[in-house]
Amino acid sequence: MAFPHRPDAPELPDFSMLKRLARDQLIYLLEQQHEVDKLYKVENKPALSSSEQLCFLVRPRIKNMRYIANLVNADKLAGRTRKYKVIFSPQKFYACEMVLEEEGIYGDVSCDEWAFSLLPLDVDLLSMELPEFFRDYFLEGDQRWINTVAQALHLLSTLYGSFPNCYGIGRCAKMSYELWRKLEEEEDGETKGRRPEIGHIFLLDRDMDFVTALCSQVVYEGLVDDTFRIKCGSVDFGPEVTSSDKSLKVLLNAEDKVFNEIRNEHFSNVFGFLSQKARNLQAQYDRRRGMDIKQMKNFVSQELKGLKQEHRLLSLHIGACESIMKKKTKQDFQELIKTEHALLEGFSIRESTSYIEEHIDRQVSPIESLRLMCLLSITENTDKAAGKITDAFSSLAKRSNFRAISKKLNLIPRVDGEYDLKVPRDMAYVFSGAYVPLSCRIIEQVLERRSWQGLDEVVRLLNCSEFAFTDMIKDDKASSESLRLILVVFLGGCTFSEISALRFLGREKGYRFIFLTTAVTNSARLMEAMSEVKA
Amino acid sequence: MDCYTANWNPLGDSAFYRKYELYSMDWDLKEELRDCLVAAAPYGGPIALLRNPWRKEKAASVRPVLDIYSASGVPLASLLWKSGPVVSLGWSAEEELLCVQEDGAVLVYGLHGDFRRHFSMGNEVLQNRVLDARIFHTEFGSGVAILTGAHRFTLSANVGDLKLRRMPEVPGLQSAPSCWTTLCQDRVAHILLAVGPDLYLLDHAACSAVIPPGLAPGVSSFLQMAVSFTYRHLALFTDTGYIWMGTASLKEKLCEFNCNIRAPPKQMVWCSRPRSKERAVVVAWERRLMVVGDAPESIQFVLDEDSYLVPELDGVRIFSRSTHEFLHEVPAASEEIFKIASMAPGALLLEAQKEYEKESQKADEYLREIQELGQLTQAVQQCIEAAGHEHQPEMQKSLLRAASFGKCFLDRFPPDSFVRMCQDLRVLNAVRDYHIGIPLTYSQYKQLTIQVLLDRLVLRRLYPLAIQICEYLRLPEVQGVSRILAHWACYKVQQKDVSDEDVARAINQKLGDTPGVSYSDIAARAYGCGRTELAIKLLEYEPRSGEQVPLLLKMKRSKLALSKAIESGDTDLVFTVLLHLKNELNRGDFFMTLRNQPMALSLYRQFCKHQELETLKDLYNQDDNHQELGSFHIRASYAAEERIEGRVAALQTAADAFYKAKNEFAAKATEDQMRLLRLQRRLEDELGGQFLDLSLHDTVTTLILGGHNKRAEQLARDFRIPDKRLWWLKLTALADLEDWEELEKFSKSKKSPIGYLPFVEICMKQHNKYEAKKYASRVGPEQKVKALLLVGDVAQAADVAIEHRNEAELSLVLSHCTGATDGATADKIQRARAQAQKK
Repeated sequence: MAFPHRPDAPELPDFSMLKRLARDQLIYLLEQQHEVDKLYKVENKPALSSSEQLCFLVRPRIKNMRYIANLVNADKLAGRTRKYKVIFSPQKFYACEMVLEEEGIYGDVSCDEWAFSLLPLDVDLLSMELPEFFRDYFLEGDQRWINTVAQALHLLSTLYGSFPNCYGIGRCAKMSYELWRKLEEEEDGETKGRRPEIGHIFLLDRDMDFVTALCSQVVYEGLVDDTFRIKCGSVDFGPEVTSSDKSLKVLLNAEDKVFNEIRNEHFSNVFGFLSQKARNLQAQYDRRRGMDIKQMKNFVSQELKGLKQEHRLLSLHIGACESIMKKKTKQDFQELIKTEHALLEGFSIRESTSYIEEHIDRQVSPIESLRLMCLLSITENTDKAAGKITDAFSSLAKRSNFRAISKKLNLIPRVDGEYDLKVPRDMAYVFSGAYVPLSCRIIEQVLERRSWQGLDEVVRLLNCSEFAFTDMIKDDKASSESLRLILVVFLGGCTFSEISALRFLGREKGYRFIFLTTAVTNSARLMEAMSEVKA
Repeated sequence: MDCYTANWNPLGDSAFYRKYELYSMDWDLKEELRDCLVAAAPYGGPIALLRNPWRKEKAASVRPVLDIYSASGVPLASLLWKSGPVVSLGWSAEEELLCVQEDGAVLVYGLHGDFRRHFSMGNEVLQNRVLDARIFHTEFGSGVAILTGAHRFTLSANVGDLKLRRMPEVPGLQSAPSCWTTLCQDRVAHILLAVGPDLYLLDHAACSAVIPPGLAPGVSSFLQMAVSFTYRHLALFTDTGYIWMGTASLKEKLCEFNCNIRAPPKQMVWCSRPRSKERAVVVAWERRLMVVGDAPESIQFVLDEDSYLVPELDGVRIFSRSTHEFLHEVPAASEEIFKIASMAPGALLLEAQKEYEKESQKADEYLREIQELGQLTQAVQQCIEAAGHEHQPEMQKSLLRAASFGKCFLDRFPPDSFVRMCQDLRVLNAVRDYHIGIPLTYSQYKQLTIQVLLDRLVLRRLYPLAIQICEYLRLPEVQGVSRILAHWACYKVQQKDVSDEDVARAINQKLGDTPGVSYSDIAARAYGCGRTELAIKLLEYEPRSGEQVPLLLKMKRSKLALSKAIESGDTDLVFTVLLHLKNELNRGDFFMTLRNQPMALSLYRQFCKHQELETLKDLYNQDDNHQELGSFHIRASYAAEERIEGRVAALQTAADAFYKAKNEFAAKATEDQMRLLRLQRRLEDELGGQFLDLSLHDTVTTLILGGHNKRAEQLARDFRIPDKRLWWLKLTALADLEDWEELEKFSKSKKSPIGYLPFVEICMKQHNKYEAKKYASRVGPEQKVKALLLVGDVAQAADVAIEHRNEAELSLVLSHCTGATDGATADKIQRARAQAQKK
């Protein structure tokens, strides 16, 4: 398990610099500049703090401005005077100031900005932590974050050198790319001399592939995200997982050795792997017997700590697995997956439709029903089912040519006999061998050709003829190692399944992928972003 | 080179002073200098002359002319003076000409006679008039001090940031002081004035009498006073022909001199060199010039013409109708090298080099002599330094040649000082040229810095020279060439006789994409000159759309600004323009503008969604966007309205809109919701309980749970709930109630449209295996196995599966064979499988 990388796979660039940068800036901002001693969540309710100064660290959203205004005005009514400081991240928007002014508190607050945009969640995953990007851009047509994306890319190119090969697809990808280029031109000189560390960059709009994001995930990391919701690279495991009475916040990244081995695995393999691991661990513990004093001393001082740590992680993941099994291995989950696969493959539509109907009839979950309808709508290229439910969803149901694209790109692998999930053949393993994620396939194809050449038909079917671009900046300094590093930028979010699929592709081809996403998403988040209740 | 020191004049034992010609002036002066107000800027700056008609008793009828010349006498500007009588002229540090008028107004002109601005020295002056004024330079900028008719002083230490300070009164002052000057000590400007035999120091708080230490007795009046360029020293000229020289703090005397001339001098200025120990003052009378210092004898020159002295950092410039000269103390390096019979290493090296050129062996002797003393490095340095202080390129060259020659015999002599001197001299010779007319000395140049020199060239519109210098010195583009080109462009846009197209093209041709040039700045300048069209053309060249927007807004080209803002991709900028537009245009036009800009429109909509709901509605109305209007009213029915009537009304409006949008589905759904709302209201009234805002499904369920089966049936019929859904609904509700009897009745009411597996499932969910089993028997053959497995009857499930010979079913059952009791069943299945395979 946990397929090793090919020996010639390139090293990942060091993102710890970004992490340090973010941490130091935040500490400086909060502690030194504003002497913040207690943190609260900004909500639409009165502040509990009795402090003389309130400092708000917020996204530049009108809603947040209203909250702040309510709070300040409540203080005013109560005859309280405090200092208010609003720190906008990543930047201040004029509209926000306008709202503060209209609410009559512009003079009471002072504003600041924290231009923070890149959070390294893992060795190969950078997140802008902008879940609102999806709704703002794809639903509301608001382009405010494009500038933020361009700034983030600019920061990356100053830190890791320019990218000799650039590819992209989607309107937003193109706009971000152009804006970024402009920034580079304005500030040239600094980056030019740098040897590029990352050879390729690929920008992709989420609306190129809604299908993949709408599917239930079955690789471990995706499943954990679907079940427990991973936030900012960590997850709250409840009592049912920790088998104690309290919840535990666990960081999920490559540093967790156990997790790192199973994160990209199809769920059906995980349990077996974990129990094998547990047996090995036991065996290592058992070695104590028959040790002499000296060996024992060695064992305690050198191995025991590691073993204990591993033990702790192992029991956590086993707990998580059990909890997932309880929820997901039941009949209905199997049926659900079956239906999704049928939709992807485009057969027995009638059965799928009646399954969805039954889903509604059972009142399982409105969000889930909507998700299935969206999936049906896109895969069947009809907006009859989903488009009419609410106007928000009609944007999803714009002409999709999924069937044709699927055929063209061979997204449904022809399998003779059982698909061996233990030894995956292709990226389809992340969906039990039933479907190669469209987004990942596009990336694979373009990287293979080093351009969009020969993909004209696909691009046309994606309705993206104007927005597919390739840009080669000749750079002789790019090492062969860097040319096997690829930064994939998902505008509007990506799922862990896509990450796993590309990690797999990387191992197969000797590449390493690095992911930059506006946020990590999954089907539930996608659907929630579209409903007005949560927005 | 015998006569090289011919113009050297010794003052005392240790110093020489020399006077050499900078330019022969061929300005065509119509007036005598003595009839003019004269102002000459330091650092080789321009000269302004204003014939003074007001000094004479009867006012002249002709208006005077203000002439501005370069230091070499090249006319820069000439304008008719149309304003009031002028008391004094002076140049600011930025080379702006300050003209102090009798009424206290100060008019500021540029180098080319262009009027810049004016300010006043206070209201008090209006009645009292200005008697005298001085323009002085401090580290903060240029200051103005005036003496009013009421014998009061007012000063401003920085005209750029005008703050007037009225100085305290001098007690008992009845007449104008015989002489006065501004001092600058501890960063504060003071005034020193002489009244009869007394000296007073005015600071902004008090007036104090001061006595110079060691002043010779018998003084009854001070005729002239002079402060050095750096404000460190002060010289006083008394009516006894005695000169006192000391520190400006009046704490220490440096020296004194008695010249025995009692006539008041015309001018007295300091002539000293930075870092020199020598102190000397130059005193000028009508026909005589005298250099006095700490020596029993003075140096005397005869003035053939009416002359004017300009104090400089390291000497004095003297110009007259025909010549412009520079008088200074001979710098140490030059003195060492050129002093008669000097054996200084530099002198020997110069000699050696000359012999070398003559191919004489003496060259070797001289060189050996220096080397034996180990002074070659020093010799080279001396030659380089002396070259800097020479005015004649020939002499510079021969000294540099000597340095270069000496360098050859040194192993490790860092070349930069030599190279830099060559560069500096090239620049200096270029600006000293007659046509340019900036006679800077090396020391002045170093003090001024290259940046300021470039600014001054730009100020004189000598763009090509400035650019050549930048390129020659390889200055970074942003500081050098780009900056100058930008200045040039800003000047270019002021040329009103050239068409907009030509100017824009010329600017773009020259500037291209030079880094650091901001086209928007140039455009702003063009707009400032009233050339809006040109500004717009120039903005087209600005690569950063973001930079174009603010100016376009200022020029009221808001629509263009909007498209530029959109192009920039900066939402914030778009928003700024939007709100600008909103205030500028009437609502209709504003909406029309938005209509063509989808991005701006969506942005504005979003804003309205949060802040101006009514506007949002208007926007949709304007566009006949009925779909969105419908959605808007749906939202309103939930958010804005509380009463049922209001909500229903809002929904009705929404439904109408949806019809207009031809969205039948949405319209029907909305109407259904209206019906449901009304109905829920009635249910609440009649039955009590909570119904409002439940879904149709939940409403029916609630009715069943409440035992209102009839009503539930009715509702389901009214809203045409599909049969399947209704069965699921009832099944779930009855199971929840654990009304097993009713459930059984229901199951038998007709053939279940959803089959009987759901019955099994739901019963098991309620943990009622007994009931579940009842329904399991009724499950159709296709789902029989599943049903049996659900109720836990693995054995029977196996039998059915075997009977069906269905591989999938077999494995499903097998996967359920987990308990110890299922061993037999598992075996059975395996056997059946084996048999099936045999066949």
